[in-house]
Amino acid sequence: MPASLAWIAATPKLWAFLLLLAAVPAIVHDAYVLQVMCLAMLWTVFASSWNLAVGYAGLKTFGHQAFFGIGAYVSALISIHAGLSPWLTMWIGAVSASIVGALVGLPLLRIKSLPHLAIVTLAFAEIVRIICSNLVGLTRGELGLSGIAPFSAIPLPWGGQVGFGPADRQASYVMIWMMMTTTLIFLAWFVRSRTGLIVQSIRDSQVAAESLGVSLTRYKLLVLAISAFIAGAAGGVYAHFVLVLTPTSAMGIALMVQMTAITLVGGIGTLQGPLIGALVLTLSAEGLRLAGDHRMLAFGLLIILVVLFAPRGLARLDVLIADVQRQRAARSGS
Amino acid sequence: MMSFAFLWEQVVNGIVAGSMYALMAIGLTLIWGTMRVLNFAHGEFFMLGAFLALTALLGVGLPLIPAVLVAICGVFVIAVILHSATIRPLMSRPGWDFSTIAATLGLSIVLQDAALMIWGERFQALPYFVEGIVHVLGVRLPAQRVLIVATVIAVVCVLTILIRFTRFGMALRAVASDAEAASACGVNTARVHATTFGIAAALAALAGIILAPIIAINPWMGVPPILKAFVVVVLGGLGSLPGAVLGGFLLGIIEAVGVTVFSSEWREVVALGVLILVVWLRPQGLFGKPLREA
Amino acid sequence: MLQLENVSVFYSSFQVMWDVSLAVPDGVTACVLGPNGAGKSTVLKAIAGLVPVRGRITYRGQEISAWSPAQRVGAGIGLVLERRRLFADMTVLENLLIGGYRLAGGRRRARLSEVTTLLPGLQQLIDRRAGDLSGGQQQLVAIGRGLMSEPSLLMLDEPFLGLSPKAVDEVERIITDLGRRGLTILFNEQNVRKSLAMSQETFLLEGGRLIAHGASSDIAAGDIVQKVYFGTPRSQETPA
Repeated sequence: MPASLAWIAATPKLWAFLLLLAAVPAIVHDAYVLQVMCLAMLWTVFASSWNLAVGYAGLKTFGHQAFFGIGAYVSALISIHAGLSPWLTMWIGAVSASIVGALVGLPLLRIKSLPHLAIVTLAFAEIVRIICSNLVGLTRGELGLSGIAPFSAIPLPWGGQVGFGPADRQASYVMIWMMMTTTLIFLAWFVRSRTGLIVQSIRDSQVAAESLGVSLTRYKLLVLAISAFIAGAAGGVYAHFVLVLTPTSAMGIALMVQMTAITLVGGIGTLQGPLIGALVLTLSAEGLRLAGDHRMLAFGLLIILVVLFAPRGLARLDVLIADVQRQRAARSGS
Repeated sequence: MMSFAFLWEQVVNGIVAGSMYALMAIGLTLIWGTMRVLNFAHGEFFMLGAFLALTALLGVGLPLIPAVLVAICGVFVIAVILHSATIRPLMSRPGWDFSTIAATLGLSIVLQDAALMIWGERFQALPYFVEGIVHVLGVRLPAQRVLIVATVIAVVCVLTILIRFTRFGMALRAVASDAEAASACGVNTARVHATTFGIAAALAALAGIILAPIIAINPWMGVPPILKAFVVVVLGGLGSLPGAVLGGFLLGIIEAVGVTVFSSEWREVVALGVLILVVWLRPQGLFGKPLREA
Repeated sequence: MLQLENVSVFYSSFQVMWDVSLAVPDGVTACVLGPNGAGKSTVLKAIAGLVPVRGRITYRGQEISAWSPAQRVGAGIGLVLERRRLFADMTVLENLLIGGYRLAGGRRRARLSEVTTLLPGLQQLIDRRAGDLSGGQQQLVAIGRGLMSEPSLLMLDEPFLGLSPKAVDEVERIITDLGRRGLTILFNEQNVRKSLAMSQETFLLEGGRLIAHGASSDIAAGDIVQKVYFGTPRSQETPA
């Protein structure tokens, strides 16, 4: 296999699993289950974008939900007011988020202290949320922006068309699956590309990278812009999928907690982590729905447990097991 | 054009609000100073204080002062237990500066939901501790609000005495300065950490209790205060006690004046805007040490 | 008597010390030598309990391997850290008082006057802010702080680092004096000649392992230090 395709060989299980996922709509027809899976895949994309920034580039932000929300609202508002197709506006949303990311990125990247960065990124996201919430004339604030158009139907070459409305969850599933797979393929390629390797070297040692003449700011800004773009795209698709937006649901702190839980549980800094985490958390949240709506409690507990006992996440269970075995051997040995 | 009297009234109200911010921020900065941990769950101790006082006062029927004391001690104990269970094990591992943030984030969610399960989502209220109106500095204020400022001033004095003149206070300053050196001197740093965490939580609980009659008690009441507390801590300088106090009052005044210019729904944005400005222009805040490179 | 048996040190999963075994009898002044990165500081920190270890450490018959640093201070082990590490914003008086943290209040005050008698230079510095002092003055305070806990074993990590020649002589005089008073002393230093002259026992480390040990006079006479410091292949000899 040529070196440029080595990224495929690196995580074969992931690609196999993705293919399995693609087959789901052929087997499952229950609209509710498909809906839940669609959301899980959207969270995968969103969490992957955060994973790129934090896990691969070491940009420890807590404000990524703002990009998701910006993508969602921009896409929704433009499609409503300009009458453009969601297929187009979602990209406008993604680009908007990316531009905002680049703009805030410049001052943000000068902050070297982790607590300051955490606080400022959180503050930034909250400012965006409050602005969105206060501009009631434009966004209807917490009352909710409804009447968002779903993705417009695609005509099929042999007649008829594929719709993406609330009744057509199978088509939406396939579309979102394609988005998720494209994102993961891109990320798999990116982290092995020259740029991606440089970025990881920055994460591992800023000082060393700097001494080698790497322009830190330029690379970090690039990663942030890409990451914001992906998050914005996910937000755009989300808007035309759930068809209702509120500032709290699209860019609130709960979203950040959920995404943090997903990425940490799945395994930060791994390609398959966000997918594992999204599936585990979304499915268990649905399971818990039977016991009452305490989704957030589960997320919180999971974050704590993972951080304490499985810091590399489920994706690196092999590392965890090896560590435990080594400790047990050492304790009995010496 | 607004009158001077109106502006002055806003400033005095800003001082009242600012004293609350100061109380929350003192706890945060104490934790940061000794442990270099950013406690995202701090707002939840604020909330738990209010709820425990509610239960002690209205549920169990204790008189005011014992109810308040029980609530504060309760939060202290809960905080120490949580610290030993979650934060302490993480501190000895690599990457603790990030993992502790994630863990306290998780803790915050768990506590909110636990409160929801125990006390329900209905907004509840505590009766005023003191009734009546007082004339202070030419402004008419409800006595409860004056009590708030008086309490904060008293707390700051007690804390200053504790930190400057007691053996524990000396240990706290030593651990904040150089934890390893303090260990080498025989200070039990783990115990200092746990106790400091507990004290910080107790301060947040106190803030929640005296504010409870004014705002609505609910499981999520800790979220807005902690954002303000973050701003104050950055404004005053991470780890600086006088910074937290002064920063709190300063933010209160800036907010109060800012809200007369914009409208009240932009109050949070004013605070957060101040934060961004400070981090941009003078990241170490008023009293912090100049930041080293990461 | 301080004893280390097969002590290894890990920084998370990264091993930095392998199976070091050594013994320091009571009343002896011993030095730890070795090139940079050999583990000299690590050995002292391991004894003080500041890094987790595998293996056994016993002091005066008690196994202290699992004891916390504070407990070891109570057992009579004191450590003066590399580069002094005073509490910069606190006064010299407060720094000394923290050194005596584990003593009861009255005993602490009494010990303070004992230490200032032992180290007369401290008295005039007593109200100064620790961070404002010169290197030599800080080292004096650091040693005083270490003595406050009434140690029977005092360890010093690079006590001469960054000091002027005059200060170095002063610190050397103090250490020699303390040794003469019966204190067990274990220190590590870059200045090989001085260390060999000041001590009775020497431990030579390289790459996290104990390469050689013995009477300082023997080590000084031999050429093993030369070999270790100037990169010749590791020698397994132990001088007679």
